[in-house]
Amino acid sequence: MPAADVLNLLIAALLLAGLYAAMSVGMTIIYGVMKIVNLAHAGFMMLGAYFVLELHERLGMDPLIGVLFAFPVFFLGGMLVYWLLVRWIPMSDQPTLASLLLMFGLWLVLQNIGYLVWGNSDRAILTARTFRTVHLGPILIPYIRLVVFAAAASSLAVLELALRKTWFGMSVRALMQNQQAGRIVGIHVERTARRTFGLGTAFAGAAGGLLAMLYSFSPDFGRPFLLRSFVIIVLGGLESFSGVAVGALILALVETLSILVLPAGYQPAIAFGLLVLALVVLPGGVATLFQKRQRLA
Amino acid sequence: MADILLQVENLDAAYGAVQVVWGVSLRVEQGKVVSLIGPNGAGKTTTLKVLAGLLPAKNGRICFRGQDVTNEASHKRVERKLSLIPEERQLWPRMTVEENLVMGAYPARLRPKARENLDRIYEMFPRLKERRGQAAGTLSGGEQQMCAIGRGLMADPMLLLLDEPSLGLAPMLVEEVFQYVRRIAAQGVTILLAGQNANYALQVSDYCYVMETGRIALEGPSAELVTNDHVRCAYLGATS
Ligand SMILES: Nc1ncnc2c1ncn2[C@@H]1O[C@H](COP(=O)(O)OP(=O)(O)OP(=O)(O)O)[C@@H](O)[C@H]1O
Ligand SMILES: [Mg+2]
Repeated sequence: MPAADVLNLLIAALLLAGLYAAMSVGMTIIYGVMKIVNLAHAGFMMLGAYFVLELHERLGMDPLIGVLFAFPVFFLGGMLVYWLLVRWIPMSDQPTLASLLLMFGLWLVLQNIGYLVWGNSDRAILTARTFRTVHLGPILIPYIRLVVFAAAASSLAVLELALRKTWFGMSVRALMQNQQAGRIVGIHVERTARRTFGLGTAFAGAAGGLLAMLYSFSPDFGRPFLLRSFVIIVLGGLESFSGVAVGALILALVETLSILVLPAGYQPAIAFGLLVLALVVLPGGVATLFQKRQRLA
Repeated sequence: MADILLQVENLDAAYGAVQVVWGVSLRVEQGKVVSLIGPNGAGKTTTLKVLAGLLPAKNGRICFRGQDVTNEASHKRVERKLSLIPEERQLWPRMTVEENLVMGAYPARLRPKARENLDRIYEMFPRLKERRGQAAGTLSGGEQQMCAIGRGLMADPMLLLLDEPSLGLAPMLVEEVFQYVRRIAAQGVTILLAGQNANYALQVSDYCYVMETGRIALEGPSAELVTNDHVRCAYLGATS
């Protein structure tokens, strides 16, 4: 195989990884702060896709602007869901069955709302950008992938900055690492949890909008991406941000390069295979390979 | 008589159905160092957790600066200048030393003063300043204890609940930690100090409560308890 083709695949994988990271990061912060596995993430991604579609079709809004709008709208939506449902689940330092069932139920409800409102036919968002390509010598990149990557990467950069430089962001990181210590210094844990749930939902909605610029979708849209988010988070070690980036890159690489050896029909099995592999071989995530010493406080 | 900063009456505390603290009453006067000593599992940590609002009180009353705070959330108590430096430090291992310290000033009231307080802490613990950019999880045990103390002081507490500050430290460091306790007290911070190290606790404190199997077994001015036979045998290693 020519070197240019390999290079093309590697670039495709990298671009995909950016999107995958943005798609999983919302689940990661929610898990980290609340120890809730947010199965409804898939539902919010689906709603995000339709949100951007509706803005595009009804108002002629550019999908990228739609994604930008998705952030505040889904942030508020997430806070509302937290206030209505999630806050009744007792805080725990481990995932509980109650939270799993609640989020699964919420996903089913969102999905059925999707069927009710939009039916079950496949939809897609097509713009002038969709079929353009960029040529860089022998390298050929679909323009839309470049755009989606840029959007995903910049949203992650802003998130990273917020987590390091704002009081809210610091409280999120603190609660992820030790919730009791958070209470000790006077963090209002429920308030941080509520905002974190909003933020995680905002990223789910925005990621859904970005995914909708690449793939066609139906109300069942989130399912394969939920599985992928899962794999990424498990590979990344459940609650670290650099872990998410590494997990996203691994999954994107494996998926992209598998085209060389596996028939396309097996594609969906790849994420699942990786998940099993990760759980068996590296239950602490890829990071355990690099952590030679980590003394706990 | 000095002001009573903390007054605890008939406090009961439990983990689920298992009660471990029974009818504890104690008071802490402003400007004093009060110690709470007792053997393993006596309930010292549990008592401090209830005082800090990390564990609900099953019964009884906690008054801080004249206000009933028994059912108040932990973050509200920090706002009232009641702070805990917990057993086993409980730092955030993957945050830097400086981030750990700054988070000590999390409540809105403290944020404008965070920078100023940080400089004060660095002056007190130059070691922490040297290590400010390092992940707290990679500090030595002694440094972690300094960091935990520093984080507690960032909140400008009036009453500091200090749980077992010498836990797991080499004898030389234990001495150093208690020097710091003295210095903090000298700055006018009232301290309730829990620990097994009765020797040091009695030396630094004005008044002492002895806790055994969840109850206050004995109390008195530290200077008097030092000569008490039970305390001497059970806690100070004297042979009778
Ligand atoms: N999280 C917990 N869940 C259940 N029981 C607990 C918990 N923490 C402590 N206990 C029990 O409560 C009792 C009092 O423990 P506590 O930690 O308050 O004692 P302590 O006086 O601080 O002891 P030490 O000197 O060893 O720190 C012990 O019997 C202990 O086993
Ligand atoms: Mg203890």
